[in-house]
Amino acid sequence: MQEVLSVRGVSKAYPGVTALEDVSLSLRPGEIRAICGENGAGKSTFVKILMGIVQPDSGSIDINGQTQVVRGPQQAQSMGLGLVAQELSLAPHLSILDNIWLGSAEVPFLHRRASFRVRAKQALETLGLTDWDLDRPVSSLTVGQRQLIEIARLLARDARVLILDEPTATLSDADIERILGILKGLRTQGRSIIYITHRLGEVFELCDSITVLRNGQHVATQPVSETTREGLVEMMLGRSFEDMYPKAPAHADQSVRVVVEGLDVPGTLNKFSMTAPRGRIVCIAGQIGSGANMVTRALAGLVPSATGSVTVDGRPMRLGSVPHAVARNVLFVSDDRAAEGLFPQMTVLDNLIATRLDASARMGVLSWPALRRMAASLAERVGVDRHRLKSQSIALSGGNQQKLLFGRALASADAGVLLMNEPTRGIDVGARAEIYRIMRELCDLGSTLIMTSSDLEEVVGIADIVITLYRGNVVARYEDEAIAMSSILADITHPTQAVA
Amino acid sequence: MTERSTAGADSAGSVAADPLRARFDRARVFSWAQTIGIVVLLAIIFATPGFLAGPSILSLLTTVSFIGCVAIGMTLITISGNIMSFALGATVGVTAMVFILAVNWLGFGPGLVVGLLIGSLLTGLQGLLIGWVRANPIIVSIAALALIYGVTQAFTEKGTIYADPGTVPASVKGKIAGIPIEFIVFLLSAVVAQLILSATRFGRNLFMVGSSFRAAEAVGVSTWRTVTGAYLWAGFFTSLAGIMLAIRYDSANMDYGVAYDYDAIAAVLVGGTAIGGGQGSALRTLAGAMVIASVQVMLLLQGLRQEWQYLAAGLIVLAVIILQARGSGR
Ligand SMILES: Nc1ncnc2c1ncn2[C@@H]1O[C@H](COP(=O)(O)OP(=O)(O)OP(=O)(O)O)[C@@H](O)[C@H]1O
Ligand SMILES: [Mg+2]
Repeated sequence: MQEVLSVRGVSKAYPGVTALEDVSLSLRPGEIRAICGENGAGKSTFVKILMGIVQPDSGSIDINGQTQVVRGPQQAQSMGLGLVAQELSLAPHLSILDNIWLGSAEVPFLHRRASFRVRAKQALETLGLTDWDLDRPVSSLTVGQRQLIEIARLLARDARVLILDEPTATLSDADIERILGILKGLRTQGRSIIYITHRLGEVFELCDSITVLRNGQHVATQPVSETTREGLVEMMLGRSFEDMYPKAPAHADQSVRVVVEGLDVPGTLNKFSMTAPRGRIVCIAGQIGSGANMVTRALAGLVPSATGSVTVDGRPMRLGSVPHAVARNVLFVSDDRAAEGLFPQMTVLDNLIATRLDASARMGVLSWPALRRMAASLAERVGVDRHRLKSQSIALSGGNQQKLLFGRALASADAGVLLMNEPTRGIDVGARAEIYRIMRELCDLGSTLIMTSSDLEEVVGIADIVITLYRGNVVARYEDEAIAMSSILADITHPTQAVA
Repeated sequence: MTERSTAGADSAGSVAADPLRARFDRARVFSWAQTIGIVVLLAIIFATPGFLAGPSILSLLTTVSFIGCVAIGMTLITISGNIMSFALGATVGVTAMVFILAVNWLGFGPGLVVGLLIGSLLTGLQGLLIGWVRANPIIVSIAALALIYGVTQAFTEKGTIYADPGTVPASVKGKIAGIPIEFIVFLLSAVVAQLILSATRFGRNLFMVGSSFRAAEAVGVSTWRTVTGAYLWAGFFTSLAGIMLAIRYDSANMDYGVAYDYDAIAAVLVGGTAIGGGQGSALRTLAGAMVIASVQVMLLLQGLRQEWQYLAAGLIVLAVIILQARGSGR
């Protein structure tokens, strides 16, 4: 059978960094290929080259047997390629409909044509989003919902080769299940898919073959049937590795640190109450739209409409002011790193110290030697190359950007309260284990961690306490041994007992 | 970005690049083009007959100081993510007027204080509107411009007001070691602004707000205070220009600051401060102001009229904006 896509010897260097070196790949019709590799291995760069977003230094691309020079995304589209990029790329003030057709080569200048509406609707429906209003602005959606729009956008277009760069990093299992189902359906239609993910379970469920990149070089391409999970991890990291989740030690001191009573966010969260003890990791689990990530946002002071009473270490905390929360050592990690996390043009160093300026300033004047030392040790801790402290942060790979956000939240020496939405979004398996280890370390120092995650495996692996949410209401609370995947999944999808 | 990485986690893919290849990186090519452009410009300027003669150098040093102080203020506004202000030129005029009035009434020292206060507060107030109410910065500055002209016109029919003889001491009009005092004030302003930007917490906050407003909010930066602060300082540096003009001419007129906004933004951009915010430096604006002022002096020496100066400034800004846009592409 003829290959739909054949890439030969592609290389790409940035000043001081070789992102890709002599990488080749070919794809048959109806093949689903996983691309795996550590953060910064070159996966996103590779697909950006396919789409003409980045120009390679050397190498050639054949599409349907013809050598092509892909100059830009529009041209790539017209040759049958479609991409869901790693970072969200929606226009927040435009409607869902507009966003689905944004940048499509098919759309004429005036696009209010009924057929586009119908196709957009169909794309949403295949994703199970039957009740979505196409005219709603994207800015009113959560990160996970926006991710679904990105996927709908790809489905609405007619691509022969679909490229998905970490499409599921912010999605919950039910959505992922559905998306994997759709992709399998597309395979039977003879379409080919390139699929990048750090959730290795998806690789084994969905893909036919795996290409592993490491340090910008091709390590191996082989059928999934001949690959084990351990083998894959070893190929990615260049070493083997055992324990993902460190176990929680038995704690003597578990005094309550955070008490939330009657937290209300109109339209999303309904009289939410909880307590979070010192030295423990609390996970709030819920599907997209359940209000789970609103709890952390509200506690961080980012939701002006939130009401309710919150006490931290016995003292009441005002809602709706981030500086106030930060002053109480309550820090936040956003799940939207592009819009709400990263300072893109600023250096890696500046990004790491963003929350520590107060601590190292005397009368408003900064002590740079101290800040530099701090940044270097933080970079070391979260696994970002110290030599890149002076690089612009936007030049880091997606996963490495995420490490910056996490590193920044390890703010002060005193034990704080950490609020994290999807803290490990896009981080590779090796670095992820390291981040879990740091989380435990923080707990040992007396911090309290409150997080949300769409990855139930992660929830079950790392949480000491799980609170399940369904449509803004608490369903149940589980602790230690009582935490089980099945009951959490049941709670967040079809709750049997609704606790008021 | 010129860092070479070797091993480590992000290093994934960080074998030192082939230097030849790196040199053809697009961003670099454009930053080189910018440097070459400036060098060529300076060469033309210095080749202009009479440019290096004492009088024109001196006039360059004073002209650049007025534009320069406004440009320093503008730099803070641009870095804070608020593009530019159209009201700084009018602020120059109004501080000059208020300064002369205050000097005539209260004396030189108090006059200085009043002048600086007026300029800072007027601009700071705009900052408050932009930072607190989240009003559009361009609209606010245009409204402020109209208001400032409207109010001053209602109060001053004559147009120009003069300082009473003997109120402004001769010592502030001279030179120190052959260098005009105005230029020394400008240099000091640039250094102070640079220290604010790079050595203070406020400076870091300013870059963060300019780089990503929402991310700054999420890490607990008080965004409204930061934006207001940027405008307060911008007003402070701008009023220095107004006061120096008034001292130089012993008089004040609302026309004093006309078109300074454009020259200032030109200086900011030529200096390499990004129009989108979050990036930039006051010392580079100093260099940018030197380039802009040199071009103006050269055009005068070549015998070209005022209109050509606007044209030149416009062309330079256009060139820089195009270079910036292309340079940031991949
Ligand atoms: N514009 C750029 N300028 C400089 N370096 C860059 C740029 N874009 C990418 N890089 C570098 O290229 C390398 C590969 O990055 P890439 O984004 O392809 O990684 P990735 O495999 O997608 O990682 P992740 O899993 O974290 O998303 C990294 O070292 C990154 O820092
Ligand atoms: Mg990537």
